Amino acid sequence: MTEKRIPQTDLDRLLARLRQRAAVYAPAEDGTGEVVLAALSGKESVTLEYRNFRLSPKALVLPQNQTLLCFKDGQAEEPRLPEGETILFGVRPCDARALLALDQVFLNGNPHDPYYARLRSGATVITLACARPMSSCFCTSVGGGPGDGTGADVLAVALAEDLLLRAETSKGEALLASLADLLSDATPAAVKEAQEQVRAAEDPMTPVKVDGSAERLRQAYDSPLWEAASRKCLGCGTCSFLCPTCHCFDITDEVRGGAGRRVRTWDCCAYPLFTLHASGHNPRPTPKERWRQRIMHKFRYAVENFDRLFCVGCGRCIRHCPASLDLRTVLKEVGA
Amino acid sequence: MTASHEIETRLRETAERLLGEKKVDLFLGHEKASLPLRTTPLFLTVAADAARLAWNPFCSPNLAVYLPRLFRAPADAREAKTAPPRPTVGVVLKGCDARSVVALIQEHQLPRDKLVLVGIACPGMVDARKAERVLGLHEALGAGEDAHGNIRAVVEDGTEVTLRREQVLADVCLECRAPTPSICDIVLGAAVEPREAHVARRQAEELESRPADARWAHFQQMMSKCIRCNACRQACPMCYCKDCLLDQTRPRWVGAGTDFSDVAIYHLARAFHMAGRCTACGACARACPMGLDVRLLVRKLNLEVEDLYGYRPGEAVDATPPLSAFAMDDPQEFLTEP
Repeated sequence: MTEKRIPQTDLDRLLARLRQRAAVYAPAEDGTGEVVLAALSGKESVTLEYRNFRLSPKALVLPQNQTLLCFKDGQAEEPRLPEGETILFGVRPCDARALLALDQVFLNGNPHDPYYARLRSGATVITLACARPMSSCFCTSVGGGPGDGTGADVLAVALAEDLLLRAETSKGEALLASLADLLSDATPAAVKEAQEQVRAAEDPMTPVKVDGSAERLRQAYDSPLWEAASRKCLGCGTCSFLCPTCHCFDITDEVRGGAGRRVRTWDCCAYPLFTLHASGHNPRPTPKERWRQRIMHKFRYAVENFDRLFCVGCGRCIRHCPASLDLRTVLKEVGA
Repeated sequence: MTASHEIETRLRETAERLLGEKKVDLFLGHEKASLPLRTTPLFLTVAADAARLAWNPFCSPNLAVYLPRLFRAPADAREAKTAPPRPTVGVVLKGCDARSVVALIQEHQLPRDKLVLVGIACPGMVDARKAERVLGLHEALGAGEDAHGNIRAVVEDGTEVTLRREQVLADVCLECRAPTPSICDIVLGAAVEPREAHVARRQAEELESRPADARWAHFQQMMSKCIRCNACRQACPMCYCKDCLLDQTRPRWVGAGTDFSDVAIYHLARAFHMAGRCTACGACARACPMGLDVRLLVRKLNLEVEDLYGYRPGEAVDATPPLSAFAMDDPQEFLTEP
């Protein structure tokens, strides 16, 4: 695919054009000094100066709070699935890859999830490559990279003055074709600069050994080291809620009188109640079992079931854990 | 050596001695975390590991939250037969942490005689997120305390940036009225002056001076960012109920999603359950992944308890918390004259 370019000074025009055909989400300051993936109404101040958003984009395909159906007097009625397209501009490569992990669960599984499918198929992902990873980033150790276009429809790289754009899928190609009058071809020098920027971003990341971790974890299941590694976990849910691949959910009915709705909400395996049975028995009674499950799910079960790690190395769990638990350290401690 | 280093050395000696002499089975402290500007809780069982203990401006976690689960009573007679004997636990406590321990003892969640409390007067702890905001697009790769108590951070290009401590202290530390822990068996380091007494009150008054719609808008805006992760509750040492009201499903009092009414009820319910019990440690605000001012409501409720009953949580272990007490002359018109 030919690389295209647009001067960064034309970014607002590009986004305004995109807004004519879809709901556009782009990085913008939220008024408290933080950059979030904001729904654009035209008044925001879009910026490319950020590392990554606190919240992952998964809320846009798997909302925290989603009505699955309504019912009244014994009749169920499915809510109309949201229509329309969304364009997510500025998603980081790790988060874009994470969407593919979610696809495994919700699209390739049985049953296929129509709620997720509608939001996902309506979304076009424009990934923005990373120039400066953080010390908590480790995407290169889990199969990704700061310039990885996997999961993107278009991969963008921000150079000094220009934004380079490259279609990664046919959806991306069609998008760029529709913007042809705003774009020109990228020069070979610019393409080279982009490649160097990506390589420079890969260098500082500390590697995390995950090759063969699935087998090592299988052998470490009964290790006494899990207890020590997980004692400080508060079961607060921050890691799961910020994680771009975590997808466990709960379904409840909210009923008043003869009418109500069935709602899906995010859940977290670190919660003490997550595996509580109606009998009162809990097969994961302490943080040790829950933490072990968390690591196993991401680094072993997902590999065994889907041949893919369910961790993209975004580092949010490490940055935001109130107990500063670091799963890289836990992996090392249990011999994975 | 700065005062922190000195205290750190004495802390390590103390822990080593307590563990070595088997005065405690477990010692809870802080150690260096994998990211700068933070520490992580450390559960020590071996005297030789005491060298891992740290004492620095990043020792924010309230270790009291880990204590109730160490002393939880067995669920039934069968479990009681095989349950191990209760451990004796040593723990490092700042002023706020010690207040939490006092409150937990008052509520019979901790046995005083199985605790060895090591108190350190606290000049205030750094809020990692505040520090990172000040650093902007720079990322700290390492951080420490300089001779003046300020924070010196080394950023990604190797340069050093000094952050004034006052600029990056946690909000809750700026209102701390009891930084020197009471109740402790061992106290390391000199006492620290409390902060000016009315910071929290002024904050509450400022908010109250705004018209009702502005206050409601402020509340709504905050609630709209809440993702219902429950981190605030899990991090709070005073939230130890085995079956939290807000998790119950029969009946479901509060939905689990982010509908405004559910989010609002969650925070309102928690605030009322914290009135007169919250020891202002800030663990909730620290844990909140969205950076919300989680203490907004309880700050006010605690002031009301202080004004009505002359009571501040966590200061006197022999006191009966006002909402757990009654006097024969308590007003009862609400019963007889609804």
